[in-house]
Amino acid sequence: MNQTMILARRALREGLRQPDALLPTLFIPLFFLVVNVGQAAKIFPSSGTPFLLGQNYAAFQLPTSLLTAASFGTAALYLVEEIEGGYFDKLRATPIPRASIVLGRLLAEIPKSAIMSTAMILIALPFGVRIRAGIGGYLLIVVLLATWATVFSGFMQLIAMKTRSAAATNSGSLIFFPLLFLTPNFVPRDQLSRPMEIAATLNPVTYIMEAARSLILEGYDWAAIGRGFLVAGLAGVLMLTLSVRAVNRYD
Amino acid sequence: MNEPIPAIEAIDLVKTYRGKEGEVDAVRGVSLSVSPGEIFGFLGPNGAGKSTTVRMLTTLLTITSGTARVAGVDVAADPHGARRRIGVALQDAGLDLRQSGRELLVLQSRLFGMTAAEAATRAQELLELVELTEAGDRRIQGYSGGMKRRLDLASALVHRPDVLFLDEPTTGLDPASRIVIWDEVRRINAEGTTVFLTTQYLEEADQLCGRLAIIDGGRIVREGTPQALKDELAARLGDGAEPTLDDVFLDATGRTRERVAGQVQEVQA
Repeated sequence: MNQTMILARRALREGLRQPDALLPTLFIPLFFLVVNVGQAAKIFPSSGTPFLLGQNYAAFQLPTSLLTAASFGTAALYLVEEIEGGYFDKLRATPIPRASIVLGRLLAEIPKSAIMSTAMILIALPFGVRIRAGIGGYLLIVVLLATWATVFSGFMQLIAMKTRSAAATNSGSLIFFPLLFLTPNFVPRDQLSRPMEIAATLNPVTYIMEAARSLILEGYDWAAIGRGFLVAGLAGVLMLTLSVRAVNRYD
Repeated sequence: MNEPIPAIEAIDLVKTYRGKEGEVDAVRGVSLSVSPGEIFGFLGPNGAGKSTTVRMLTTLLTITSGTARVAGVDVAADPHGARRRIGVALQDAGLDLRQSGRELLVLQSRLFGMTAAEAATRAQELLELVELTEAGDRRIQGYSGGMKRRLDLASALVHRPDVLFLDEPTTGLDPASRIVIWDEVRRINAEGTTVFLTTQYLEEADQLCGRLAIIDGGRIVREGTPQALKDELAARLGDGAEPTLDDVFLDATGRTRERVAGQVQEVQA
């Protein structure tokens, strides 16, 4: 555990030294928020749209942007850079559990994601967005999104270890976009067309989005929150199992 | 009197890669023994199996068959034990370019179990050893090729290993930087560390190595001291000429100067 923490601190330091790599993770989700709200806010006025529960459309869209911000997987890009450059082998030649090498990077995703989520929420506040569940709700959103960011980065790290190629790993992040659009990101799930509703129901990202959305629009809907954390937790267990296996079998 | 435990002992090491196009035998039964305190050279043309052998001996690659012990530790049965006894500087200095030289050495020391204070002291010692004290707090990104190699060498020494593996440590360096690395290797060896060095530069092997092996096609084709190998070739040719290590290499790998020159011309065309 000690070595994992040492490597996590290094990964954080690395992130701070490459701020230009962090900027797109803030800019692109904000761009989505502005464009989506700009295109659809008039269709869904807060007074005549029951699913907004009195808030504006930006509040409904905020979880989409939070999820986008948590789904860049920059940790995997740093990892593949180290694989290509040889530093990964240097770390593998030390007497530490090999899992620490990937877990250290994943651990560093938690504070990075918390900072990004907080920044996104702070930027949304002047536009009238409020978190109905209050400070506790804000903390739950941050934890949920940090869990998702770790899971997504973990899957990206798997691609990095399998392909050992920066180009392939970079392309891997595009997987998120179909997952993001096969969700109730413009309207609630029960208002989607039937095929889209089925796709959204099968998509794990839907439950993270609905949990965050319920905290923003409704307050504490424990069923939705529970589903969100359950999906993130299960995906996390799967990702950790596969990651540890991959790094231990890396040849 | 008991024989000392070899610093490195490999018996019938085999590495087979399984790919879409079938199996490839990268190493086909390498056996060697290196005594404590030696500088042992491992030579061979590109693709001969040098790096694959080193990667097996340093626990970075699984062994298909055969056994390998480093400092008396079986690398397959006890890889953590082996990693505590060896230092590794591979081809293409593997460094984290966003860190400073000092941070990299401190991190490496911590991963070998040192406390923060011990790691800071060891990093300072090593920066002095490889003459990087002034550059120690600068990001590695700005280091020259020679500085990166020296730092890589230092990072392989944080835990005072019994055996140091250097995989082509001077490839791509200018002659002055190469001589600096040679001096470092001699100094490290003089302090009692066994050095296993792969190189493509025969002059380097001649300068540094007490004994060497030549690998070709995944098999060891010559082994001995540089002088013994030259003497053996001279005796076999019997033309009165004094062969160089280049001649030994070309003879051992079945290459000729004409063929090698032809290959170079083909590449240039």
